[in-house]
Amino acid sequence: MNEKYPQFTFYGLDFNLTNDLGVLVSAILVFLLVFWLSRNLKMRPGGKQNVLEWIMDFTNGIVKSAIPGSERYTFNLFAFTLFLFIFIANQLGLFIELDIGKDTWFRSPTASPVITMTLALAVLVLSHYFGVVFRGFKGYLKGYASPLPLLLPINLLEEFTNFITLSLRLYGNIFAGEVLVLLIRQWAFSGGAINFVSATVAEIAWQGFSVFIGSIQAYVFVTLGMVYTSNKVLPE
Amino acid sequence: MSLGDTLFTIVTFLILVIAVGKVAWKPVAKMMADRQQKISGDLDYAEKSRKDAEELADKRREELQHSHADAVKIVNRAKENGEKQRQQLLDAANTEVATLKKNAQEDIDQARKDALADAKNDVANLSLTIAQKLIGKELNATDQKDLIDDYIKRLGDANGSH
Repeated sequence: MNEKYPQFTFYGLDFNLTNDLGVLVSAILVFLLVFWLSRNLKMRPGGKQNVLEWIMDFTNGIVKSAIPGSERYTFNLFAFTLFLFIFIANQLGLFIELDIGKDTWFRSPTASPVITMTLALAVLVLSHYFGVVFRGFKGYLKGYASPLPLLLPINLLEEFTNFITLSLRLYGNIFAGEVLVLLIRQWAFSGGAINFVSATVAEIAWQGFSVFIGSIQAYVFVTLGMVYTSNKVLPE
Repeated sequence: MSLGDTLFTIVTFLILVIAVGKVAWKPVAKMMADRQQKISGDLDYAEKSRKDAEELADKRREELQHSHADAVKIVNRAKENGEKQRQQLLDAANTEVATLKKNAQEDIDQARKDALADAKNDVANLSLTIAQKLIGKELNATDQKDLIDDYIKRLGDANGSH
């Protein structure tokens, strides 16, 4: 990771190819995984189907714990896809890191603040949209003045802090993880067999721990996203 | 900032959600719902079957109890009948024995009476015959009677009883 990425401008829009490639690969992997798991469905589920149903139950549980009412069915599929996408995106950069020349071509897309902000934005925009759908425009506006009209500025501020904390938490965790992966790699090649062996052990340990971090962060992102959504969707 | 990335991510993610929903989510969710329905149906059916079986067992038990009572009743009735029959037979035998005894007694009495009468006649005839033999004359019964009466009268006089 050299903090230099292949750039590309198209109709005045800037594209960071590293991010786009990561997003695309993550999406394709998620789709292939789910596609493979969902083949040959049976009334009596076998191994693959059990795994898929377990993941579905898991994300449904996340949604349900935030939104107990019947509104939750709207968000089940979204939460499921979001969780798998972030999970896979978090893990990708741990194992694959591609530098060509001075440019980094591939790493975790969630190690970029742009991608995490985009995901947080998607979650929050959806929460506002469904807040209007489920509570009406008046109810949605009333939400800003609750529990006291006095708190209106704080509620408005909260919308931005929600967005910032949701996106930067994920970005910070994954970015830091990748930086450490690279630092340990540099340590490994800093010369000497002892350095190489001990750095390899440290890298393995850190990668294992990062898998854990990536899973936790995917869970936290989806959970908090659903909590913010429930604040908008559920009547006070 | 790279606005293009944002756009690209959103579009990709949207397509991903739609594809996942179509390919995996819908069929699996449907399968899960079907399974839930089937399980609840099966549970209902099992519950019903259990109830039916219980009812049937109760009925059987009741019938068994009834048949037990019936058997007891039948045995009792048979016992009663036997007792009655025994009593009847005994009574009949007693009666018959009594009748037989009575008849026999009557026969015996008759026979004794007949024998006595016969003996009386025989004695009369015998004594007559003896008297005829002694007196040597034919006595008819009337004469003899007179004779006997006369004899008896004289016997009385001789005793001076008058």
